[in-house]
Amino acid sequence: MNDDYLWDKSGEPDPQVQELEEILGSLRYQPKPFEIPRDVPVSTRRKYFPLLAIAATLLVALLVAGVWFRMRTSNNSQPQQARVPEAPPAEKVVVPVEHEQTPEPEKNNLVINRKHRSRPSAVVLAKREREEREEALAAKEQLMVALRLASEKLNLAHRRAQGFPANQIKNQHRVG
Amino acid sequence: MKTTEPSAVAPGKSSKPSTLITPLLAVLLILSLAFVTKAQDSRIQLSSLDHLAAKASQTVDVNIDERLVKIAARAFSDKDIDEKKIKDLLTGVKGVYVKSFEFETDGQYSPADVESIRSQLRGPGWSRLVGVTSKKDGNVEVYLLFQGEQVAGLAVLHTDNRELTVVNIVGPVDLDKLANLEGQLGIPDLEIERKPKTKSN
Repeated sequence: MNDDYLWDKSGEPDPQVQELEEILGSLRYQPKPFEIPRDVPVSTRRKYFPLLAIAATLLVALLVAGVWFRMRTSNNSQPQQARVPEAPPAEKVVVPVEHEQTPEPEKNNLVINRKHRSRPSAVVLAKREREEREEALAAKEQLMVALRLASEKLNLAHRRAQGFPANQIKNQHRVG
Repeated sequence: MKTTEPSAVAPGKSSKPSTLITPLLAVLLILSLAFVTKAQDSRIQLSSLDHLAAKASQTVDVNIDERLVKIAARAFSDKDIDEKKIKDLLTGVKGVYVKSFEFETDGQYSPADVESIRSQLRGPGWSRLVGVTSKKDGNVEVYLLFQGEQVAGLAVLHTDNRELTVVNIVGPVDLDKLANLEGQLGIPDLEIERKPKTKSN
């Protein structure tokens, strides 16, 4: 008996081998296109999972932003509401600002919180107000000097145009 | 093709200058308007007198622009009668500029210095209201800039042997109100008029 048939199908085949070959031949590979059977259950939930995750993240972000915005607006509106019923509001805003600039130890927690919230704007406002006041006073002084000089010169011209000695009229004006 | 080419180019060539002329005219108009408005500006350039500060024994230099006038006006009280007058006077004023030099000796400033100011006051719109010339007491000139019927500026030029003063107010000025301010302002007396006079050079 030759075993060549088992290697390369040459030579005389063994009847048992041939029988086995016929039995198992029905199971041999037959090339055909791959088809997914229609009855296989496909889970549709997995498709929407990423979209749901994104939507949930956005929703959480929106909620956090909303809460933060509400807290912020309520913080801003609280001092304004508190200041309204106070008797002299304008002075009360300015006075504590000057205390803030001194390195004084802080005593009251409530006061500290309010100061921390209003510190930057109040300091800037007070500083700006002080600078404007100083500038206004300096300009006022200069303006008064200029106007006095202008007035003197105008009167001098007026008197001389009328033919009166300047000093004489000036003295009369001062006595009268 | 040859017959259509010139006709196609010709409109392009003719439209180029026409498209350029319109913006050019607009620019020229804007420039001329700017020139006219600048010419009508009642501010006098006083910087040519700056070099006299080194020679002067006393200098008054006031430069208050529109912003500072508005800021200063806020500092004047409405309750004080004198300050109220000044506040009213400052309504509409866009600038107050003063340069006053007092010298210890005669001839410290040149006629060219005075001419640099006077030449500006010969410009369009300006008219000399008062001009008093005196060898003993010096010259005083009052100029007004008119825009229509309205006074849009004032300039006072006072030259003496030992003094050169220029006052320039930009904007509408009530001369009566301004003249009446003398002696009412609670500021130190400059004693410009009462300083000892000397013979003219």
